Formats: sequence, C-alpha cells, structure tokens
Amino acid sequence: MPADDDKTLFAAVVMPYLGDAYALARWMTGTRTDAEDVVQEASLRAFRAIRRYAGGNARAWVLTIVRNTALTWMAKSRPVGLVVVDDLAAVERRQLQSGNMDDWNSVVDPETEIIAKAEAARLETAIAALPSPFRETLVLRDLQGLDYREISQVTDAPIGTVMSRLARARQRLVETIRGAE
Amino acid sequence: MASAIQSDSERATLLVHAYIDGELDPVNTIAVKQQIAADPALAAEAARVEALRRALREKLPATELPAGLEARVRTAVGIERTSSPASWRAMAASIAVAMVVSSGATWFVTRTPTSDDFLEPVVAGHLRALMAPQPIDVASGDGHVVKPWFNGRIPQAPRVVDLDQAGFKLVGGRVDVVGRAGVPTLVYQIRQHLISLTAVPDAAHVAMNETATAVRGYNVVRWTADHVSYVAVSDVNAADLDKFAQAFRDAR
Repeated sequence: MPADDDKTLFAAVVMPYLGDAYALARWMTGTRTDAEDVVQEASLRAFRAIRRYAGGNARAWVLTIVRNTALTWMAKSRPVGLVVVDDLAAVERRQLQSGNMDDWNSVVDPETEIIAKAEAARLETAIAALPSPFRETLVLRDLQGLDYREISQVTDAPIGTVMSRLARARQRLVETIRGAE
Repeated sequence: MASAIQSDSERATLLVHAYIDGELDPVNTIAVKQQIAADPALAAEAARVEALRRALREKLPATELPAGLEARVRTAVGIERTSSPASWRAMAASIAVAMVVSSGATWFVTRTPTSDDFLEPVVAGHLRALMAPQPIDVASGDGHVVKPWFNGRIPQAPRVVDLDQAGFKLVGGRVDVVGRAGVPTLVYQIRQHLISLTAVPDAAHVAMNETATAVRGYNVVRWTADHVSYVAVSDVNAADLDKFAQAFRDAR
C-alpha cells in the first residue's frame, strides 16, 4: 500500500475523532498543553499503525491509542500521580467498604436537587479528583457517550470492571457534590 | 478484584446503572425496572444517577479543540496542505457509504422516498430490529430516559408515553432510516410481541389506515396527530395493535 493511501486512511479514520481524542486526553492529563502533546503523539502512533486498523469502530480504535499514549506520557512525566493496578484494587475495596448504603434511605428529592444545582466548575473539580481508572471510565461514558463494550475495548478492562468503575465514579461524584454543598 | 467481593446489592446497583445507560436487553430492562419500583434504595440510586448525568450533559461545556492542533496533526503526519480542509470529510463520508452498501443496506440509500415507499422502510426497520441481537439502541422502560436519548441523534425527539396501564410496556427506542432521514422508533412490548412505533414529522403525504392492515405478513397501523405521522408495526394480532394505537392516541 503506497504512503498516500495511509494518509487517506488516516484522514478518514482518525481526523474525524480529533475532538474526542483531545477531550479524553484533556480529562486524563488534566491540562491543555499536556493534552495537546498527547494528541500529537497519539496521532503519530495512529498513523504508524493505520494499516492495522481492521475496520469497525474507528472512534474506539482512536481513543484506545490516545488512552495508551496518555498513560505512557503520564508515567514518563510524573510517575507519582499514576495509579497502578495494585493500588486500584485497594481503591475499589475502600470504595466498597465506605459505600454509601446508609445514605440510601435519605429522601431523594433534595439530593437530586443538589446535584442539579451543581455548577460546571464544581463538576469539573469533582471529576478531576477521581482516581484515573474511574475518571476515564466516567468520561468515556457520560461525557463522550461510548457504550460499555466500547469502553471495555478502549480501557482494556472486562465489562464487569467497566460497570463497577462507572458506578463508583458516579457515586463518588455525587458524594463530592453533596459534600461541597 | 472487585468482582470477588461483589454482593447482591452491589450487583443490583450495577444493573440500575446499566439500565439507565440503556445497556440491558428487553427482558432485563423489565426486570430491573420492576426492582427499582419495588426498592426505594434502588429508586434513589436511579434518581441520583439520572440527575448526575443530566447535570454533566447540561452544565459541562464541550471541550473545544485548541486552535491549530488539527493543522499541527496534519503537518505531523504529512497530509498535504494542498488537499482542501473538506477532503477528509468527503472521504469519511464515502467510506461510511461504502460500509453501508457493503453491509447489505443498499436498499435504504439508493431508493428515493415517495409516499408509496414510506411504509416499506418502516416495516423493514422492524424486521431488521427483530433480527438484530437487540431490537433497540436505547433500552429503558422510562420515557424520561428514552426521549432525551433521541436528542442530538435526530432533529425532533418523539412523543413518549407510558402505556403500562393498557398492557404495553415501553422497552426502548432506536433510530430507523426512512429515505435519507433518521426517524425515531419507540419499541413497546405486549406479552412476547414487540411493537415498533415510528414517528415521522411532516409526513403529510402518508396514506392513513387507522385500523390494522397486513404488510409483508406484519400488521401495520398508521395515523397522524399534531403533524406527526405514526406507523405501528408488529406481529401481534390486529385487535391488539388497534388497541395499542388507540391507547397511544388517547394518552395525552
């Protein structure tokens, strides 16, 4: 396949999802400049791998590369902030133990009202404070609209893990919003 | 990891999230909907998740692509400046069309819609949905979930009504293609039968038959209300389909 075809394919497969790529990188890295670097790096990776794109869900394919690039990039530039898999298991256990079962008996209406009143800045801060596996799952689902199977593909996690991360991410956000009220 | 210590209530919670995300098949959708109705804790969780999703959708600004990033990416991979900015869009479109054509749906894109051709794609949409692993793109028994799902996918979200009392359960919705336009289709269930209800705005030319008639072995009822043409397709018997149409019209 000549190089021109690679460019054509890249333009068709990757370019339409540059916005999605940047948004994911932005939420994962936390800053605009980092996100731009990640997107550029991921674009190069995608271009080099474009012949391996086997059709199917182009957005999930692109976002998978962006996520992997972001993880590598974050590990390189600030290893402290990265949650490794072992830590994650601990985080999930803590989440389970500190689950808000008791709060479930509280009245629904005032609570949903508090959530509805939360301002953009507060929501952004709360999302940014999530452990990264929870954050990426929430961003892919609730901000970018991927379905569970696509998230499973992008984050390389089983569907069950996607489901529990998503539920905990949402519960954490609600707790944070409620706590800040 | 987490799954090893997952309790029943934990599992029920995850299913509530999956229900709101439209990830459940019709059978589980109905089961979870009943659990939510029976369990205040799950109902509270559902309300929280829906409120949160709404807040995220409505409050958070869309992430803007920084100026110049697209150009820098183009330069990095060596996509020539001479190609017009629209060229990748055209290419993407042609690939999309190629995918549709090769997937056997040629019929949808090559036939221009006339009044006579209107019914065929609607019935075909129902047939295709029955053959798919899941007859709906958003699985939810809650009209407040189904209706917003259509926003952003098609210009006008359909009227969604709760017909539980009449025996017709809402199980979800999908977007069908009529001519070249996406149209909303709601899916209701009665006993083991699914009913696809397609709503087409501004379809004044569509012939009406307000009682069920058979098309390709399926019963079809059509009517118009508030400038929207409705077509209900199902393998349920004509009397039940008439009852469904009547219930939908009466629900105001």
